[in-house]
Amino acid sequence: MTATAARSHIHRDNLLTRSLSFLSSQEVILFFVLVGLIVLVGTSNPRYVAERNFINILNGNAYIAVAAIGMSMVIISRNIDISVGSLIGVLGTLSGSLAINGYPIWMSWVVPVLAGALVGAVIGFLVAYLRIPSIVVTLGLLSILKGGLITITGGAWITDLPKDYFLAQIKTPPVSLLGLNLPEIPSPIVFMIVLTILAALWMRYSMTGRAIYAVGGNAEAARLSGISEKRIIMTVFIINGLTVGIAAVLWATQLSIIQSTVPAGLELQVITSAVVGGVSILGGIGTTVGAMLAAILLSAINSALVFIDVSPYWFRAVVGVLILFTVLVDLLRRQRSRASARG
Amino acid sequence: MTTTLELTNISKQFPGVKALDDVHFEMNAGEVHALLGENGAGKSTLIKIISGVHKPDRGTIRMSGQPVQFNNPREAQAKGIATIYQELSLYPELTVAENIFMGHAPRRKIGPLSIMDWRTAFERARELLASLNIYDLDVRRKVGSLTVGNRQRVEIAKALSINAQVLIMDEPTAALTEADVLRLFEIVRLLKQRGVGIIYISHRLQEVFELADRATVLRDGQYVGTKLVKDTSEDELISMMVGRTIDNLFPKLDTTIGNPVLEVRNLWNKPLCRDVSFQVRAGEIVGLAGLVGSGRSELAQTIFGFTPAQSGEIILNGKPIRVRTPGDAIRLGIAYVPEDRGTQGLVKQMNIRENASLAVLRSISRASFIKRAEERNLAKRAIEQLSIRAYSTEQVVNKLSGGNQQKVVVSKWLASKPKVLIMDEPTRGVDVGAKAEIHRLISELASQGLAILMISSELPEVLGMSDRILVMREGRVVAEFDRKDANQQNVVSAMIRESSAPNGTTAPEGVLQ
Amino acid sequence: MTSSTLQQSDEMKSGVRLRAFLLRQEVVLFLMMMIAIFILTLGSDKFLTLDNLLNQGRFLTEIALVALPMTFIIITGGIDLSVGSIMGLCAIVLGYMWNPTGPFQWPLELAVAFSLLVGVLCGLVNGLIIVRIGVPPLITTLATLALYRGLAEGISQARSVRNYPEYFYELGQGTLLGVPTQLWMVLVFVIITAIILSRTIFGRSLYAIGNNELGARFSGIPVGLYTIMIYAFSGLMSGIAAWVFVSRVTTTRSDMGTGLELDAIAAVVLGGTSIFGGSGSIVGTVIGLVLIQLLKNGLALSGVTTDGTIVVIGTVLILAILINNYIQRRASAVE
Repeated sequence: MTATAARSHIHRDNLLTRSLSFLSSQEVILFFVLVGLIVLVGTSNPRYVAERNFINILNGNAYIAVAAIGMSMVIISRNIDISVGSLIGVLGTLSGSLAINGYPIWMSWVVPVLAGALVGAVIGFLVAYLRIPSIVVTLGLLSILKGGLITITGGAWITDLPKDYFLAQIKTPPVSLLGLNLPEIPSPIVFMIVLTILAALWMRYSMTGRAIYAVGGNAEAARLSGISEKRIIMTVFIINGLTVGIAAVLWATQLSIIQSTVPAGLELQVITSAVVGGVSILGGIGTTVGAMLAAILLSAINSALVFIDVSPYWFRAVVGVLILFTVLVDLLRRQRSRASARG
Repeated sequence: MTTTLELTNISKQFPGVKALDDVHFEMNAGEVHALLGENGAGKSTLIKIISGVHKPDRGTIRMSGQPVQFNNPREAQAKGIATIYQELSLYPELTVAENIFMGHAPRRKIGPLSIMDWRTAFERARELLASLNIYDLDVRRKVGSLTVGNRQRVEIAKALSINAQVLIMDEPTAALTEADVLRLFEIVRLLKQRGVGIIYISHRLQEVFELADRATVLRDGQYVGTKLVKDTSEDELISMMVGRTIDNLFPKLDTTIGNPVLEVRNLWNKPLCRDVSFQVRAGEIVGLAGLVGSGRSELAQTIFGFTPAQSGEIILNGKPIRVRTPGDAIRLGIAYVPEDRGTQGLVKQMNIRENASLAVLRSISRASFIKRAEERNLAKRAIEQLSIRAYSTEQVVNKLSGGNQQKVVVSKWLASKPKVLIMDEPTRGVDVGAKAEIHRLISELASQGLAILMISSELPEVLGMSDRILVMREGRVVAEFDRKDANQQNVVSAMIRESSAPNGTTAPEGVLQ
Repeated sequence: MTSSTLQQSDEMKSGVRLRAFLLRQEVVLFLMMMIAIFILTLGSDKFLTLDNLLNQGRFLTEIALVALPMTFIIITGGIDLSVGSIMGLCAIVLGYMWNPTGPFQWPLELAVAFSLLVGVLCGLVNGLIIVRIGVPPLITTLATLALYRGLAEGISQARSVRNYPEYFYELGQGTLLGVPTQLWMVLVFVIITAIILSRTIFGRSLYAIGNNELGARFSGIPVGLYTIMIYAFSGLMSGIAAWVFVSRVTTTRSDMGTGLELDAIAAVVLGGTSIFGGSGSIVGTVIGLVLIQLLKNGLALSGVTTDGTIVVIGTVLILAILINNYIQRRASAVE
């Protein structure tokens, strides 16, 4: 076959072009920003890079990173979910209530996740089949969840949780590998990393995963390719519900008390992680790895402020500037790639 | 040769327009069949019927002798009909390989899981491209970073990945550089050898002579005839396309031509407006001819301030003016009826009254308050003056026919009492009756002393309406004809003649030898 | 056209008009509001009293002030998530500048004026980023939501400012001709914005931009300028909301106005403004606002907790959109 003969001179972008495009990906940039920040702050205050602080940085936003997995998919499909903060509060409270009311511990971990998926299915149905914009659906849902939670619980604190309830406080056993003592790693970090990688693989290799990009990138063309937009949107919101459920359990089990209210502004932290992680609000672009790195970066910045002696009250201002900066870089990069595509 | 696709007695009616009337078309395996006709002749409707976007009202479609019916594009694709649209339907953020296999990507099993097999996808995409002699395209690249020519190659590979027997190419060379055009031709010939039938739509007749075996001509939604390309000539095809439609035009009124109103000197706005100079006088209709992409609309939008000029002079009634925004242009007395009325000319969700007044709100308001009675009168006058068929000024323009929508756009710009009226494809997508009315209007406006610059891709319109004709190519005005000297031959040849290209690239004609 | 068809079309016209009127979201919503009032009146005899209703006006003032410019913004197809944060920042700036034990110790009037200026600046920054750089409004205002709140927190360092002079509370707590002072302010702004939107070139242009931005540009409408103006206006109104709020609650805190953007957007969307832009009205927004506030209050009087009412509001929002979607689809099917 001629193709075989031809293959020898089939063009692949050379190593330089490829590595340049790899290096300019949002994930890699974020990684270097993160390393840069750690080195910079670490040199001025060595305690910042101490093992314990390092683990705290990773652990601090781990549940947000988990929620950002689903959020990334939602945004890639060209939708948005602003109810995740409320949902985390509701599902976390549900988890705690199950635990103190004598249900088996495993149920208090699993039921909220399933409930999350159920809520996701409802959102997906309203968006995909009844054609209500996702921002409106989740805006309404946000009120329902927030109000409903306080109405039912009265904002009471859930205490006296059983001792083996605290999933997020479990750590990996210390391991010695090649003479190195690996630290004990809290379970949220494990969840964050494992789920992010699983999701990344799924997004890359499954037909549904690819279809999410197709629907978000060019819905019209996706329809012509026989992709069911409705089914994809449904799937995306169900997965989002699942990851929010897991995030909620991690959130609820990290402290010895659960305040049964909705943690303020959580949805914005989740959305910010996705956006700073390179997920385009216009759909079709982004990865879950980027979102995770962004969540870690936010946590690292928060911690850094303490170590360089800046009041943590400035944290949100820094986050705002960071989002703007990311979007600017992204815009410039796209302009450049468009320019090179033209030339 | 076997007949792969056969359409007989196809008719299709749209509200207000008979798009196709008893049209025939057939194609053989391994044939390149050109589909010719002016804008609005029914070419796009026909290919939309073939590709399953529209269903014909009457007539039959047969594939390899069997009658078929397509309810949607998917069904047509399943039968091996692939379409490469002018607006490419790719996913910019996905890789070349994925774009090719979207919807039918190779999979592999890991235990119970069926996952996308990237390695096979890359491999097969590479083979597919190699089979088209394309070796310089990395299948891992994101499509968004590719040139237009490369994107088109991806589209073609995508079509082949579903084993297309019939490939429809709608103006494939419109946006390509010359080098890309040459490569496209190679690919078309390759496909032809492999027995793929290609329906080729192009305005560039020399491409038809270079590539096609047969040509079918449509005119005003009707079938004119099918010719073997080797037995016909450019002249014959043009006369088939144009026919006697010139007689359908409203006869141009005689006018006295006055002083120059608009004068443009050395206007630059790269890439598609290069050193343009011309003038339009009072009462004069200047036709601006050229192929799609020759820079006519870009010139108009530069004068109108939508894309302000980089350098050069615009002179209105003897005074140099600066036009930086459309608002400036409107205030100075320049009006522009844009090419695409759906996205540029109208706000379709608004009603006739609101559209008719949108460009002149300032003149019907006091202290920025819109005077409702005046606005209603304005719309009423527009409906009467242009005999727009609508039941009230409050009718949403979305619900009007194409011709009536176009009249609303024209009325909107007449309301601005312009000194210069630029009309970009004033009768595109408009039925014959409305067309004649618009021509009458243009002629009357000129006789009232308005200076009119009319862009049109329909030669009879340009020849029939203009006092003078300018021809643009590659952003420059390359020829000028007086009404009495202009004919189809010399205008068309100015439009498509490849001058010794300034940068020394070879012209497609070079391939012929 | 013959005279008989003309007559026919006249009849059709009035029929179409009547149906179009009845199918308007404002009218549908108004009917829903009447039903709600009726049911709530059955729930408590304190509900339908003038005192109660006027008093409710106090509580909807801040949301109302922000929801008015939000209507403009959503009509153009944009969104402003930063209004709550601008309100927080303006409140902090007001207190910080005035604070008799702080670094500036400005007169109160000057501090108020300066805080309004800050509000305008915040909105201006939003508008400039959206128009000049081309960042989508959702992202821009998400970023500035964090930024402005962060500035408020950073400046205040979580310290509140209290003990304003007595006369300052007149705006937030006093009455004028028996009506809460700030309600007069809301009324004036409602009238102004309603007139701007329905009667002026500017208002018409906003609809054109929301429906077809390109078409608006080709019609000579200065799209960029108008867009920047409405975001700046939104900033100004958030500043005014901060002023009223500080005066009502007698203190300044950096978390003021948290979540305000969602309440405002809910009112606007409930009022029939399409989240995709192009349609909507101030009347609709006002009905949306009133409906939400009455529901909150009526339910509270009927023994439902304040938080329980939020549930009802969320449900009403989704139901209202569903019903409206259904009606609009039926309406276009009939035509």
